[in-house]
Amino acid sequence: MRLTACLLCSLLAAAGSYAQNDDWGDDEWSDDVAEEGLQWSGFFEAAAGSRWDEDAQTGRRQTLGDFRLRTETQWSGERVDASFKGEAWYDSYLQEFDAELRDLTLAFSPRANWDVKAGRQVLTWGTGDLLFLNDLFPKDWVSFFAGREDEYLKAPSNTVRSTWYSNVVNIDFAWTPVFTADEYLNGERFSFFSPLAGQRVAPNPPLAGIEPEDDFKNGEFALRLFRTVNGTEWALYAYNGFFHQPSALTESFEPTFAPLTSAGVSMRGTLGKGLFNAETTYYASRDDRRGDDPRIPNDQVRVLLGYEQEAVTNLTVAFQYYLEWLQDYDELIDNSLTPTLEPDEFRHVFTNRLTYRLQQDKLTLSLFTFYSPSDSDYYIRPAISYRYSDQWSFTGGASVFGGSNAATFFNQFADNSNIYFRVRYNY
Amino acid sequence: MTDLGRILLATGLLAMLGHVHAETDADDIVSKANLAAYYAGADGRSEVRMTIQDAQGRQQRRQFTVLRRDVEESRDQDFLVVFSQPSDVRGTVFLVKKHVGTDDDRWLYLPGLDLVKRISAGDKRTSFVGAHYFYEDVSGRSPDEDEHTLLETSDEWYVLEHTPKNSSGVEFASYVTWIDRKTFLPMKIEYRNAAGRLYRRVEVLEVTDIDGHPTVTKSRVSDLDSDGVTNMEFRYIAYDIGMPETVFSERSLRRPPRDWLKRPAGDQ
Repeated sequence: MRLTACLLCSLLAAAGSYAQNDDWGDDEWSDDVAEEGLQWSGFFEAAAGSRWDEDAQTGRRQTLGDFRLRTETQWSGERVDASFKGEAWYDSYLQEFDAELRDLTLAFSPRANWDVKAGRQVLTWGTGDLLFLNDLFPKDWVSFFAGREDEYLKAPSNTVRSTWYSNVVNIDFAWTPVFTADEYLNGERFSFFSPLAGQRVAPNPPLAGIEPEDDFKNGEFALRLFRTVNGTEWALYAYNGFFHQPSALTESFEPTFAPLTSAGVSMRGTLGKGLFNAETTYYASRDDRRGDDPRIPNDQVRVLLGYEQEAVTNLTVAFQYYLEWLQDYDELIDNSLTPTLEPDEFRHVFTNRLTYRLQQDKLTLSLFTFYSPSDSDYYIRPAISYRYSDQWSFTGGASVFGGSNAATFFNQFADNSNIYFRVRYNY
Repeated sequence: MTDLGRILLATGLLAMLGHVHAETDADDIVSKANLAAYYAGADGRSEVRMTIQDAQGRQQRRQFTVLRRDVEESRDQDFLVVFSQPSDVRGTVFLVKKHVGTDDDRWLYLPGLDLVKRISAGDKRTSFVGAHYFYEDVSGRSPDEDEHTLLETSDEWYVLEHTPKNSSGVEFASYVTWIDRKTFLPMKIEYRNAAGRLYRRVEVLEVTDIDGHPTVTKSRVSDLDSDGVTNMEFRYIAYDIGMPETVFSERSLRRPPRDWLKRPAGDQ
């Protein structure tokens, strides 16, 4: 989203007018419920990131350079709650100012067992950890790879969410009237593999998928039925919309977003000393059900199994197994323009997350590893974060991609491996 | 049987009865203390703030509201913890379904990601949101997990020693509690490690009568190894407010129940 001078000014004004009494004295108990005017908070953050070497495709070594101001507030009325979360930043990589509204919503309950939240918001569901099956809400992969705070992996969308609760089942319904794509890798910051070019590329101007027309019939519908039974969470999902990556081609071979309908199921509960989760989904590529159109992605089955346990005090270990199974694989290969560069029919991925908390949780060491035995590639995300005080926190980390074949999912980003550092001041 | 014999037998029986009685006493006292400390009223709400201080004197703060509902007296309980301070944790919500005898179910809601994260039961004796308090200090340790011995009964205190039935998963070898004889509130707890060294102390600094329930309104935990201290204050406490079970659900994670989070009318 481009800078709007107006939004930036209001952000700065809001940050400037912040004057909450921070005294922890006896009579200074802050009260979020019985509002006495709006309470503003947020943060300033500086973030920098760099590759080890210059990337031949983008011609850049830098990956991240943000100076960011966040401001947020909430308001509670008799019947309606409102919340606002906005950001403005200077991006030294792109050398431009930017602003984004992450949250501007009204929440209300038309009935005692019915909640509605409408407006710009971030949505998440499903059981995967950095793997998404039935969560088809927009992601920001550029921020994720560049080492911005984890929160930025989820991009906001303009959505009406309605949740109806009952003893039998709870029903979550999210309608996004205008399709919202992922922030996908477009070559502006990170290079990627292009099967058509047969090599890693960083297109300039950046790749821009042709989005479906802004028409209600191109809106996105996401449905979740969920219930917790004896501590085990069950959910059914359905989605109608589009793939969020421009993985299809128009007739004139421009990247675009193929229509997608999906259905899935998940469960999550305790197993032994830890947590177990299982999730599966079927992606029906509506414009290529037979799988013989080389321009359109095929149907896909995705399966996830996960287990997490605190192995020793303050050290949590989690494993996931993840499968992407391309349907109609013979048709795919028979019709492909680049059959040797197509992914395998079965893509297996294992992930491991280690989280170690020290010093009263002030210091957190974490390591997230993706490894695919079928693709022979990996993606490793080590991070160390230190919460020096309630105001200051420091985070350093890396994204390391590698493998043996330039076309595989993680290894296509090998020239983008980077380290990053962030300093944040919360106000 | 001679009179002497009868007397000996009687005193012997009495002594045995006395012994049995003392054991029951210890369990009884602990069970009453558990009720007094964690089960006042059928439900309750309190606002809490903590000052977490390290050996260098650096302070961090947390403020949150706790809602609690007893599923069954002295057994399972539900907790909802809604954070309001500092700003980077505002809106974070923690839901615990405490189960006596099996592992608790725990969920954390992270508003920035709209993520309902399930937390593995794991070690309950780890820091609660960065404080020197443990999760278990907040939600209570089940009396069934320890053997209890009454060490001393003074005018003011029952002094008991507790040793874990299963020492895996606990960092202490034993702990001693000073339980107020009138209120049955544990007023001081001291933890010792396997070497017998005292390394951790929990103290109650202030008790206030709320709706007829003596209630801890100020407490402190000291980590004697690291010289770290967390002070905890409770205010705006109310009991028996009639919260339904549905308050403790995923719905409240995404949309905290404002009606129940509202401060009760009146003082405190």
